[in-house]
Amino acid sequence: MKKAQLKIQQMAFMLIAVTLFFALISVFVLGFRLSGAKGSANLLAEEGAMMLATKIANSPEFSCGKSFGNQVDCVDADKVMALKKDISKYSDFWDVSSIEIRTIYPEGDEICTSENYPNCNRILIGEQEIAGTYVPNFVSLCRKESIEDQPYNKCELALIMVAYESK
Amino acid sequence: MKKAYLQISFSWLFAIIVGAFILFLAIYASTKMISNNKYQLDVETAKNIEVLLNPLETGYESATVTSMSLPRETRIYNKCENYTQFGSQTISVSQKSLNRWSETSDGSSISNKYIFSTNPVEGKKFYLFAKPFEFPFKTGDVIYLTSASDFYCFKDADEEIENEISRLKENNPGLNIGVFPNCSKESINVCFGTGSCEINVDYFDKEVRKNSKKMYFESDALMYAAIFSEVENYECQVQRLMQRTAQLAELYKEKENIISNQGCEKRLSSDLTNLISLTEKLDSSADLKGIWDLAENIQLKNERAQQCRLW
Repeated sequence: MKKAQLKIQQMAFMLIAVTLFFALISVFVLGFRLSGAKGSANLLAEEGAMMLATKIANSPEFSCGKSFGNQVDCVDADKVMALKKDISKYSDFWDVSSIEIRTIYPEGDEICTSENYPNCNRILIGEQEIAGTYVPNFVSLCRKESIEDQPYNKCELALIMVAYESK
Repeated sequence: MKKAYLQISFSWLFAIIVGAFILFLAIYASTKMISNNKYQLDVETAKNIEVLLNPLETGYESATVTSMSLPRETRIYNKCENYTQFGSQTISVSQKSLNRWSETSDGSSISNKYIFSTNPVEGKKFYLFAKPFEFPFKTGDVIYLTSASDFYCFKDADEEIENEISRLKENNPGLNIGVFPNCSKESINVCFGTGSCEINVDYFDKEVRKNSKKMYFESDALMYAAIFSEVENYECQVQRLMQRTAQLAELYKEKENIISNQGCEKRLSSDLTNLISLTEKLDSSADLKGIWDLAENIQLKNERAQQCRLW
């Protein structure tokens, strides 16, 4: 092999090495930036869910309005049971994976259905149980009850849990 | 005579060509990366706006205001669609850098908010102002997005409206809404009644005239919405509000069924069915008047139900 040919070969190898070096650096930088973007997406989802848990009690589909007096952070259990029946229409409405309302006292694990309501402790909005990352908030859970056909308001302390999906 | 040749060896030529190629790749990759970064920032800004809107959703307060400052001149695009169950709106952002507007970001689609604004809203500082919308039950909070660079001057407004604006300004002195004569020359004039103004409000006939187009309203929440938004946005958001009203009316009908087991009479079922059918048929804001009368009647019946109120 001539000296000139050897030099060309040397130069070619050098250039390939330089290209590979820059390519590797780019891959690292890109990977780092993408993981940052994923992190900030999760953070934004978390912030959104935290706000959502606090405000959901006041959203028209959940809130008591003035039907139980002027209460804040009050969830209307009768309305939520009605919502449970129609939940398919709300599939993408709140951008959360699931919502659960659980009474703190009386304690229990019985899931509410139209058959056993109001003798139950957990209202699941949607079919799935609460899973993944969730944000809880205390609310009063109110419903209408009656004694000798005379309606009255019954309110209990409950926990509303809003789960969101980590991306 | 001897000819002059430029003597470049093959190794030099090879190095120059490949070097130029590497340089080209590096420059291409970095410009691509910068534009991706800008795009990511725009998407994040759009998402942040959505998060910022959450505390605005009121309980039963009359109105709340918040401001939002962005580091650069920004255009916020507000696209509304009403083809799905609740419709949705998409907030996307474009920011100015080196005197050029970045490509509009992918929007952040929201189904549970109703933002009324011009399209786009441009500025560095924005005011977000929200009011609950009741028709007759609370349907949602309507949010008004305006740029701080647009100042709205209300002339001859109803005393109640003037008081509300004064209340809002007490907590937010910089708010871009004022009552005549405390306005600057560059203000967008909003006249209640006749007058040569950019926006005219006929409070008696419940209509707002803007750019020679009419928008109809019922309740102050929709009046402000018509003032601060464009006709297309207004009509689309009103349709979305009515879609949610219909769905909520279904919920209240079902709730009435549930509480009828607890000694409550079924008083509103047929009226709610009418409300559902009218709201679903709504073509434009001009149809609001007919539905409002029914809504008021329903509200009266609900208030009379006392212990068995549905909302």
